[in-house]
Formats: sequence, structure tokens, C-alpha cells
Amino acid sequence: MALRQTIYILVIASALGLGLNLVSPNRLDFIGNWRDLHDGDGPILPPDVEPGDAPFIAVDVAQLDFNARAALFVDARAPDEFECGTIRGAINIPFEYLPEGDLEPYFDSVLSHLSKDERIIIFCSGEECDVSLHLARNLQALAYTDVAIFFGGSREWERFHLPIERRRQCDE
Amino acid sequence: MRRIIDNDYLTMAVRLAVGVVFVSASVYKIIDPGSFARSIWYYHLMPGSLINLIALVLPWVELLAGLALIFGVLYRGAIVWVNVMTIAFIGALTLAVARGLDIDCGCFKAADDIDGSALQPLILDGALLLLIMQLWFSRSRRWMCSRK
Repeated sequence: MALRQTIYILVIASALGLGLNLVSPNRLDFIGNWRDLHDGDGPILPPDVEPGDAPFIAVDVAQLDFNARAALFVDARAPDEFECGTIRGAINIPFEYLPEGDLEPYFDSVLSHLSKDERIIIFCSGEECDVSLHLARNLQALAYTDVAIFFGGSREWERFHLPIERRRQCDE
Repeated sequence: MRRIIDNDYLTMAVRLAVGVVFVSASVYKIIDPGSFARSIWYYHLMPGSLINLIALVLPWVELLAGLALIFGVLYRGAIVWVNVMTIAFIGALTLAVARGLDIDCGCFKAADDIDGSALQPLILDGALLLLIMQLWFSRSRRWMCSRK
């Protein structure tokens, strides 16, 4: 009895979900094209790169810029995550806490020591977080011309034992 | 103990509570399956080709199972589904925490709208599982559209 009812629910749910998807404005392809977990070669990419997005760089490229002091590293996570551990020397621009309205005065103030053509590398925790991508899109829209995204983020940085700065100790 | 578990009022209250949780959890996913698909992808537990199918069907299973519990239709099947889904959610969240993923659980809201803590939904799912166990063992069949 329970098994039969379980199958009824699945069949009805499948018919409704797949059927209504055909006429939905938010229609999805039935077979998704989601990238599997990163295999360790090349830069880590988000599942939905758009044309015009900033370039995605691998950890070795980020490390070169870090060692050469050729870029400003920007951590796009929330302040408490930033304080728990970030790439050494990075500043925090928490994407989810940006002020409402016109962002240009805010960015101009936070990045006042940079000109708009200097290199900025944005990151967050790792490939499951996309605030770095959204922050990069905002900066590009405000004519910052040399923005790159290190999508491996602080986790990949730490995995390679690269310098981390912790402002406070946090439970993992 | 048996009398408490079989209590009609307790069973009805738990049916309503669990049903409402599943119905409300399904709504955003049905409206915005793309965001839910992204939430599933973040867990890195499913093959990429299956993610959209799951994102399209699972919310309807949640909705139907929730409504079936509330109205007492296809009742045993609904209990099996809420059990399976809750255990699967707990498993996925536990793996995410164990792997150190800073994950949006994708439980009730779109992936971009909630903070990254997986612990709170884990606790909620544990409490939910206790309630579902009460339904599983209760023999009460009052206030149901169908007794089967």
C-alpha cells in the first residue's frame, strides 16, 4: 500500500513538474549542463559564466600576482568570514552588505588608493559561493578595467598552503 | 507511550506542522527552479545532467507530500516521502559541513538570499525527523479524507 502510494505521488509530481516546465517563463532544460566538481586543472569556473565576465584565474596566476604585489586582493565575503581567514593583505568589500543605491561613491572611497586600470583580484570562499562574481560585475560596470576573479577562493588558497591572515580564531 | 503516539490531536497537529513545512519549502523551488538547481549543484553530490530533472520534480513531491499529510490522502506514501526527503537532506547537509563547503542550504529560499550556515537547517531537519517518526508510528486515522 505505502509503496503504491509512494509511486503515485512520484508520478503525479513528475507529470506536474515536467509538464508545467514546458510552459513556464522560468523554463529549464530537462537535461542540465552543470559542471562537475573541479578536477584541479586550470582555473575554477562558476556554472554560469556570462559573456563579458571578468577573466577567471587559477591559483598559480593569483599566486604570481600576490608575490609580485601586482594586484589588490578583494575578499567579497561577509566581514566575519573575512576576519576568520583571508588571503594575506586582502581588503574586504562584502558584496551582501553593499549600500543601497549608487555604488560608485562607495567603491571610489574604498578603492581610493587605486586607479581604475589597476589590477583587482576578487575572491570568496570557493566554488560554491558566487559573491566574487557579482562584485566583479559591479566593478566592471563602474569602469574598473582590470578585474579578475579567483574562483577557487580562500579554500583553494589555503589548500596550497599560501599565506593566510586571521584576524580572529574561529571554529571550523 | 503508545497512547501518546496514537493521540488524535497530537497526530493532527504534527500532520499540519510537517505538511506546512513541506508545502512552504516547495513554493520558491516551484516558482524559481533555476535557483534551486543551483542550490543542488553547490552540494556537488549529483551528476550535472540530473540536476535540472531533480530541481523540476522534487519540489512537486514536497508539495504533494505536504498536502497529502494535511488532508490525509495517500497518507502512507506521503509519510514515506517526507521521511526519505528529510533523511536525504540531513545526509547532504552533513556531507556539506564535513567537506567544509560554505553552502546555502537551498531549503526555503533562493540560493542567493540566505547566509551560508548549514548547521541551523541540520538542527531543523533533525527536529522534523522526530515529528515524522511520530506520524510513522501513530495509528490515528481521524480527520483524514481517505483512511488508506
